[in-house]
Amino acid sequence: MSLTTVNLLNNIKKLYLFKLKANIDSFSSLIGIQLLALLFSLGGVTTIGSFSSNLHIDIKYYSADLVIVFTMIWSFVTAITITTKPYRNHDFSFVTNRLTSSVANILFLFTASMLGGITAMLSGNLLKIAITLLLDEPLYLIHGGVGEIAIGAVAAILYIFGISAIGYFIGALVQVSKLFILLLPILLIGSLYFDGMLQRDPIITDFFKFFLFEASFLIFIVKALLTSVLFFLASIVILNRMEVRR
Amino acid sequence: MKVIECNNLTKTYLRKNVLNQLSFTIEENKITGLIGRNGVGKTTLLKILAGFIKETSGEVKVFSEYPFNNLNVSANLIFVDDQMSFPPALQLYELLEVAKSFYPNWDMELAKRLFDYFGFDPKHYHHRLSKGKTSTFNMIVGLAARCPLTIFDEPTTGMDAAVRKDFYRALLKDYLAFPRTMILSSHHLDEIDDLLEDVLLIKDGKKHLHLPMEELKEWAIALKGRAEIVNEWTGNREILYENLIGKDTMYTVVKNDFNETLRQKASLAGLEISSVPVSDLCVYLTSESKGGIDDVFNNR
Repeated sequence: MSLTTVNLLNNIKKLYLFKLKANIDSFSSLIGIQLLALLFSLGGVTTIGSFSSNLHIDIKYYSADLVIVFTMIWSFVTAITITTKPYRNHDFSFVTNRLTSSVANILFLFTASMLGGITAMLSGNLLKIAITLLLDEPLYLIHGGVGEIAIGAVAAILYIFGISAIGYFIGALVQVSKLFILLLPILLIGSLYFDGMLQRDPIITDFFKFFLFEASFLIFIVKALLTSVLFFLASIVILNRMEVRR
Repeated sequence: MKVIECNNLTKTYLRKNVLNQLSFTIEENKITGLIGRNGVGKTTLLKILAGFIKETSGEVKVFSEYPFNNLNVSANLIFVDDQMSFPPALQLYELLEVAKSFYPNWDMELAKRLFDYFGFDPKHYHHRLSKGKTSTFNMIVGLAARCPLTIFDEPTTGMDAAVRKDFYRALLKDYLAFPRTMILSSHHLDEIDDLLEDVLLIKDGKKHLHLPMEELKEWAIALKGRAEIVNEWTGNREILYENLIGKDTMYTVVKNDFNETLRQKASLAGLEISSVPVSDLCVYLTSESKGGIDDVFNNR
């Protein structure tokens, strides 16, 4: 029987399509988690009350921010999940190597982030409709234009993708040694305590400030993508040495 | 063409050598039986060949390439065992479709026919199958993939006798139609001895024997008769197995270096000479003691 040679890109494409089908359940959990976040958002994110002699003003601020946060958690968990043994073994029942398996995973996570980011942004509209129907008070719209939503969606996608990159990296570490399950929380909480003792801002906040306080949208895109790529590259290197099905 | 080459292959788990300086080659388009006792390193060897795990030292080549992380090896090889895992979200029929997309030689017609013959429900899920059914489904994937190197590691786990028989027949028929290299590790050697061309016998992580089946059938000989006569005949020959039946009847297995005249002499001396079934021979060759389990209970 003659031997066949496999094209790397072709294999990645096949694995990617396979993963879209195989991980279909993660998309249904995305819907569930976003609906839950919407339910929580119905009460309003922040409330400002103001009283004067015979005037009483209540301002409630409604947004789908919570949906984005929940979607980020979802992408984090999804990324960790697909690094676990059963998921890696699925690929090895078919044709793969560790590199193509990881690249296909990353493409899957990017697709998931796109879907999660766009639906999270659009869920803001659903929230507005729900509130219009439920409340009698006047509604004022801020940040409503298509351009705003588009920028928001891109930012949301990048945040979600970035979080999934961190999740994938943590998942890869845990696959190397289960000790990281203990070590990582200790490091995280330990650093918070340590920074607290020295009475300075935690290092973690610097990490988030690096993205959150970026004024230029373009530079933010570059920063977010680069960080994600770094985390994914590190994960690929780690997972490339792992034995499977042992 | 050499499909598999192993040179001083060693695999160590927690300082214990599972494979120890194993060297052998397997030629193209042969069905080789990988035989050995439990825990002797058969599965470890097969997983190294499949590129799932890494050797500790030594050299391994599959299709003249190093198998670990090798996409070409992965595409030309399928490793079938009862641990094969498939995503729980996909139905059995979808799994066949996925396999079709991955394996270039995949024969959907064969897969479907076997699928129907063994009574699978296309809408069923792999993780809900019984042990025997899981093995049967995996076997269908293994056969229909038509990979130039097909590895079956204990493929019949949980299968009933009828399905096992069907499986061996299906394997042989498909092999004859599309010859390819196959490695079959099984504990049911008596069931597959007419299927195998070569036998690779492993003991303590080392190659013990690597012979064509025909030679292995003639490799040893059994002498049965009065104990003192048997002992006289076995003399300084290496005894592979001996068993005292009743009070003074001895059944002894020795390496077959008997020519025709020697055989006749032995029969005249009152010895019963018989060939040794290959499955029994492999048990004798791989056992630690000469008397088998009886030794545990004798001479306490």
